Amino acid sequence: MTKKAFRPDVDAPRWTGGHTPYDIAKEGTIALLVVAILTIALATVFGSPDVPAVTIKRWSNTTPVDFAMTALSELSATSGSALYGAPYNHNAVGQQLGPLQLAKWVGVRIPINAVNDFVINPLESLPNQGALATDLQQWKQASTSQRNGWIADYTKAAAHLSFKSGNVVVTAANAGPVPVLINDLTQMARSGALDQNLVSHSGFYTTDYTLPLLFIADGSYLANLADLQHLKGTQWGMMNETGSYPGQAWLWLYTFWYQVPPFSQSGNADVLVWGFMMALTALLLLIPFIPGLRSIPRWSRVYRLIWSEHYRGLQPASGQGTRPSADRPATSRATGDITRPEA
Amino acid sequence: MYWYTAVAALVPLDHLGRYLHWHWLLISVANLAVIAIMVVTFLAALLLPFPGRRRRKENQ
Repeated sequence: MTKKAFRPDVDAPRWTGGHTPYDIAKEGTIALLVVAILTIALATVFGSPDVPAVTIKRWSNTTPVDFAMTALSELSATSGSALYGAPYNHNAVGQQLGPLQLAKWVGVRIPINAVNDFVINPLESLPNQGALATDLQQWKQASTSQRNGWIADYTKAAAHLSFKSGNVVVTAANAGPVPVLINDLTQMARSGALDQNLVSHSGFYTTDYTLPLLFIADGSYLANLADLQHLKGTQWGMMNETGSYPGQAWLWLYTFWYQVPPFSQSGNADVLVWGFMMALTALLLLIPFIPGLRSIPRWSRVYRLIWSEHYRGLQPASGQGTRPSADRPATSRATGDITRPEA
Repeated sequence: MYWYTAVAALVPLDHLGRYLHWHWLLISVANLAVIAIMVVTFLAALLLPFPGRRRRKENQ
């Protein structure tokens, strides 16, 4: 039987040297205590991010014109949500990886009709609104071309839309019920009723914030806040935090790809970056099986820096001291020796 | 005011952060500080002697 040759990057040499007991429970306890004390101390000194939640009420009271314009985009089904595609609707292919239409394959799992879910249904929930009820009825009974005509007229006039004395002011002569719908939805939003209405469909505990989040994201208010705090994708936002707090620095590589071509110029950047990161992760996982790549630690000899104490002990004596035996390490850290033991 | 709000943050960091912008690189000073601390900690772990080495040597 021939003896198999030793492969330095694959085979682990059998340790024949000494051993030293090591109390890992003790080290774990000390580490836990140190981290706990550091956490409490740092939280006391620096606090933690506590930015108030962005709500539709806050948005519509701060920038009512932006809210009214966004409500119009929902009513005309031209908002970001209305045109997003899966999982909300069929109006776009969505994110795709080459020929693979991943978003479309997932399907419409959270069906959203922007016109009804964001405008008509919330307005219908308002009690004792005689005039509004008439306008809603007019909207429902109108044909698609009639609605489009109203929307077009209002959109044209909305270039001069303003907010005065608590009302949305637009001079649109042939917009049908649209001015009332937009104005009443803005009033509803400013009172906070729209926030509640958009989450009340999800049951008693109202933990599904999909609708209000999408509505808010369709406007400019949230994007402007994100821009101010450097949280947008084009600002390395993934690794940033609100205020002056440090953020998720470990996401540097993921967010880095969004800043450089071709990812920064692609409408499919999300899935492209995800796919590329998955490929890099697979490469990292498979390093032990990739010739050349797996030899880098041996070539770079960084391990000798980490286990420097042990390797100092293996060096030939030069004037002083004696050369310790390779099978009797200076410390238990010699378990890091990945070189072949001497015969 | 509750007593803990007085010590909630001796150094409040809720104000807008400072960012360094160089070509395509955009990084907050806070993140840069954390990365610098991580690098220093890593170098210290590499270069500083392991605690208890002297005692173990004496035992050998």
